[in-house]
Amino acid sequence: MTTKIPVTVLTGYLGAGKTTLLNRILTEDHGKRYAVIVNEFGEVGIDNDLVVGADEEVFEMNNGCVCCTVRGDLIRVLSGLMKRKGGFDAIVVETTGLADPGPVAQTFFVDDDVRAKTQLDSVTTVVDAKHLPLRLADSREAVEQVAFADQIVLNKTDLVDEAELRGVEAAIRRINPLAPIHRTTRSQVPLEAILGRGSFDLERITAAEPEFLNPPHGEEGHVHDEHCDHDHDHGHDHGHHHDHGHDHHDHAAHDHAAAAGIKGISLTSEKPLDGIRVTNWLNTLLQEKGVDILRAKGILDIKGENRRLVFQAVHMILEGDYQRDWKDGEARYSRMVFIGRDLDEAAIRSGFEACAA
Amino acid sequence: MILDFDAYVTAALFDAAGVPTFALGDGSVRLVSLEGFTTAQAHDGAVLCACVHPSGAGIVTGGDDGRVVWSRLEGGEAVMSEIAELKGKWIDAVAASADSGLIAFAAGKDLQVRDSKDPAFARTFSHDKSVADIAFDPKGRRIAAATYGGAALWYARIEKQTPQMLKWAGSHMLVLWSPDGKFLLSSMQENSLHGWRLSDGKDMRMGGYPAKVKSLAFLSNGLMMATAGANGAVIWPFQGANGPMGKEAAEVAYDQDALVTRVAAAGRGNLLAGGLDDGRVWVCDLVSGRKEVLKAEKGAPISALAMSMDGRSVAFGDEDGGAGVLASGF
Repeated sequence: MTTKIPVTVLTGYLGAGKTTLLNRILTEDHGKRYAVIVNEFGEVGIDNDLVVGADEEVFEMNNGCVCCTVRGDLIRVLSGLMKRKGGFDAIVVETTGLADPGPVAQTFFVDDDVRAKTQLDSVTTVVDAKHLPLRLADSREAVEQVAFADQIVLNKTDLVDEAELRGVEAAIRRINPLAPIHRTTRSQVPLEAILGRGSFDLERITAAEPEFLNPPHGEEGHVHDEHCDHDHDHGHDHGHHHDHGHDHHDHAAHDHAAAAGIKGISLTSEKPLDGIRVTNWLNTLLQEKGVDILRAKGILDIKGENRRLVFQAVHMILEGDYQRDWKDGEARYSRMVFIGRDLDEAAIRSGFEACAA
Repeated sequence: MILDFDAYVTAALFDAAGVPTFALGDGSVRLVSLEGFTTAQAHDGAVLCACVHPSGAGIVTGGDDGRVVWSRLEGGEAVMSEIAELKGKWIDAVAASADSGLIAFAAGKDLQVRDSKDPAFARTFSHDKSVADIAFDPKGRRIAAATYGGAALWYARIEKQTPQMLKWAGSHMLVLWSPDGKFLLSSMQENSLHGWRLSDGKDMRMGGYPAKVKSLAFLSNGLMMATAGANGAVIWPFQGANGPMGKEAAEVAYDQDALVTRVAAAGRGNLLAGGLDDGRVWVCDLVSGRKEVLKAEKGAPISALAMSMDGRSVAFGDEDGGAGVLASGF
């Protein structure tokens, strides 16, 4: 049957450069056919592309899941787009600067029809280097958009010096240790680095390597900018293995500054985990704290199992599966990262440690 | 007759003269005759919704180009007339009443009404949230609009009014009146139906579906309602003042390997057609229990289904543009 159309959700506060990026997607000579769903009504076709307006109607589901909200308008617009002849290579959904990315992302997991035809590719957040510190201080939405992101486009880097830039990146990593950062100016990040990430594809979870474990930009090249990120698939794969033997609790402890109580927590274990215990623990944790857990990702080493157990979660929605075999000689470990609001790190850590087989 | 349209089939309909008509994702309307079909390029974009015109001749379609268009055959030629154009909007739902001659359509949060006999008549009714579907009552005087949190009931001709709100938490996607006008049924985002008895606003919860219910049809003069959304067609009894309240639903033509995506009936008789998510189509007589498979070849999910008034023909269309008009065998 037909393959699923990848959908990129583009968030970011007003003035960060989202519209510039959207215009590039629409006007650049990329030979692809994109549909862009923007948050104001009016349909404009530019060459092959289509721009559709949507209303950002957030609907609660009557399924007993308190954080289960979806974008009703998006379900309708996507079902309409699926009727169009010829289809699309990709769909980009723009949200307003004040939007919570949760309902948009959840729409792709909760609605069966949307799920059958499309696949959430990434939540991409555009921020600007000059104003991000201010926005993180005064806007809860700005913090959530950074926390939720699979990747961050750090725009307008020419407006700040290198020291400021490192400060901004450190602030981003405290909130979201997982998302690669693309440094850029005038939203000139390569489109192929932004679209087609497969961030929610369990097959493509290659590593749950929090960026705050990495050396700073310039020493190792982990912060992706327009010059270094042409090989984005390998963005997480190189140079990390020296980390595995260490205990990195103390890195997460720097998070006292994280705005709005949102931060990332990384857990690592060298001991194999008990499959049933860790599954039950994850389920319970997400059920009880899913409202506050924006995102989670992990790669687990399960006792008696030669394959890696990988998972990703958006609030209470958990997807997990056994992936590839651990390679011969590969260091086996379990690592999970939770990004959330007011998380009880000590409780989560002890719960995780109790899952050892 | 088997057809290949190479575009998503949004709707299959029989007009009052029994002309099978298809509305497609490439914006065209295909009016079928014995010699084949005639094409009316009604929209620039996709047809999102369609219904039979109040006159009984041809169909009214709504598109993602913001237009509402009437397409029909006149002297063997396709003729089109524009009923409305809302620039930059999508027409998500369209409905018409032969009794009142009115045509209603939904675009965003607005429900608009036109009169097929009076070009000057126009009404616009606004809602807080988008309207997903609309339906006329059996006399064509009132319109139900499915929206978030319930259904709004409007008098179709009155300019200034406050709608009667039938509330039920959640997103309502599809509405249908029972043929006696006593009940309003709605299909919800959460794989369930909701119903209201209009005399007292009593709620009816009709759940247990494994999938979204995308299609509802009354048959047997309104004594039964069939729905899609399960492995068989689900049949709800509607005898008496209480309708399906406190009664069990039955499931016919159960197939563990497929889901029913569309149902269609002729209204008066006991014949029901079902279209499946694996492309098959069947017809079943609910009284005798006799079932005929009209299309056994599997394919794309059935996205449109209709039965002619006499129950002798079934028109179907699928998501990939496969379509056909088949004798029901009854």
